[in-house]
Amino acid sequence: MERKDILAQVQDVFREELEVDDLVLTDETTADDVEEWDSLSHVQLVVALEKSFGIKFTSREILSWDNVGDLIDCIEKKK
Amino acid sequence: MVVNSLSFLCFFLVVLVVYYLLSTKKVLQNSFLLACSYWFYAQVDLKMTGLLVLLTIIFWGIGYGIQKAIEQEKERLASRLTTLSVVVGIGALFYFKYLNFFIGSFVAAADLIGIHLSWTASHIIVPIGLSFFTFKLMSYPLDIYHGKIGHEYNIFNFANFIAFFPTILSGPIDRPKPFLKQLTQSRLFNPDNLMTGFRRVLWGMFMKMCIADRLDLYISAVWNNFEHHSAVSILFASLLYPFQMYADFSGYSEMAIGVSLMLGFKVAENFKRPFFTLNISQYWSRWHMSLTSWLTDYVFMPLNIKLRDWGTNGTIAAIMLNMTFIGMWHGADWTFFLFGIYHGLWYIPLMVSGQFFKKTKIKVNNHGLPTSPFAMKMVGNYIVVTFGLMLFHSTDISEFWAVLCRIPEAWNGGLFFDMPTMVNAAICSIALIYVDFQEEWFPNKKLYLPRFAETYRWELTIALEIIAILLFGIFDNNQFIYFQF
Repeated sequence: MERKDILAQVQDVFREELEVDDLVLTDETTADDVEEWDSLSHVQLVVALEKSFGIKFTSREILSWDNVGDLIDCIEKKK
Repeated sequence: MVVNSLSFLCFFLVVLVVYYLLSTKKVLQNSFLLACSYWFYAQVDLKMTGLLVLLTIIFWGIGYGIQKAIEQEKERLASRLTTLSVVVGIGALFYFKYLNFFIGSFVAAADLIGIHLSWTASHIIVPIGLSFFTFKLMSYPLDIYHGKIGHEYNIFNFANFIAFFPTILSGPIDRPKPFLKQLTQSRLFNPDNLMTGFRRVLWGMFMKMCIADRLDLYISAVWNNFEHHSAVSILFASLLYPFQMYADFSGYSEMAIGVSLMLGFKVAENFKRPFFTLNISQYWSRWHMSLTSWLTDYVFMPLNIKLRDWGTNGTIAAIMLNMTFIGMWHGADWTFFLFGIYHGLWYIPLMVSGQFFKKTKIKVNNHGLPTSPFAMKMVGNYIVVTFGLMLFHSTDISEFWAVLCRIPEAWNGGLFFDMPTMVNAAICSIALIYVDFQEEWFPNKKLYLPRFAETYRWELTIALEIIAILLFGIFDNNQFIYFQF
């Protein structure tokens, strides 16, 4: 799976979970850039991403993400 | 040495002058800052300064070990060292702060079933600021393990982060990344920082000395003799207590943030007008923010992630544990345990109804003010907070229960009213409410001043604050409520 395809799928999951239809994600996007993305929605996003990609993240992986780029790196390694 | 005392003022003035004389040599400036921080802590708690230094060395060493283990891809070793750091941090807290409490509770429980024990650990003295600097210490290895920061190879920089004198006694609880970064940057004399910091110190002094200490005269008079006071007086004093706590701790935080800024450091904010909130979740996101964000990152999030497959039940479990931690962090007594549980329970309806996961925006009317239903919710939330703080204020469960029982018994008496205290407190409280109100609802609107006065807005504000402190302040170096934690 190519990186740009992963980003597109991640973006779809974010749009659905956060209910923001026009949300555009880049590698540099952080939780500070998206009002709806907080510590609570973060866990909902993780569950939705795991379901969407059919993978399981470790706690350390989840807690080490600083931005969308880190998240995509992690998915890339698992796919 | 209390932050709003003359001795601190003398200490700080000397520090400030020498600190900026050394500003062109960063190493000397940082070394001087560290020496000042240790000297300050030794003045407050000489016996425990050694413990502070020892824990600093241990955590720096563990951080070094984790970094090396990560570099050599020894995942298990990194994980074990991180666990060790948590054990050492929690162990220090447990030994100094909670051992006596647990032994006492165990002895009392054994007594109930007829086993009489004479165990005691009353010789243990709690180091001042332990709860604050232990949390700073623990965040360091955890952040290295999770890849948020690299190890700080300069142990003196790390020691500066832990012992930074403006925040060591009562926070705000800073994080390693932003603070260590600032230590590597030069901090030259900056009049803007100095002025803004000085204004925040003055504002903090106003909150502490004119409001918190003044209200304390009334609240303590009622609460310490509640058996002689009417229900109306007890309820009135209880309703004033959250406001006193806010003026006390937010006042302290303003001073700590202001002093830090005068030294060229931007530290974490601690309060954001917490009473303009609709529910307990919003309240905790604006009250003692540096503690709640620490617990969110290092307790709630890891728990919520671990329990994510349980859905809402997992979040409820994580919140209940998190709030119990918040309660017990404040002190070793069942009142604090119940304080945490009480707040945790208020989250459950929010989570079950889904409000917890949605950001409720407050509707405003044509004047830019919250509409009646939202204003009523804020009042309701204040009452919820008040009840929790009644537990917090009680020395033990039996006192809390006795106060509660006194309320229905004493409906007939009138309101105890100490006129000079209440008038002074009311004048200053109105000023604080006005400022908070402006910042919350009209952040871009400045108080109108005639043109000739507009040029001197800052100078006028400072003069007004100094006059208010001299006129209404209480100058008996009252301790801050949060110093005991």
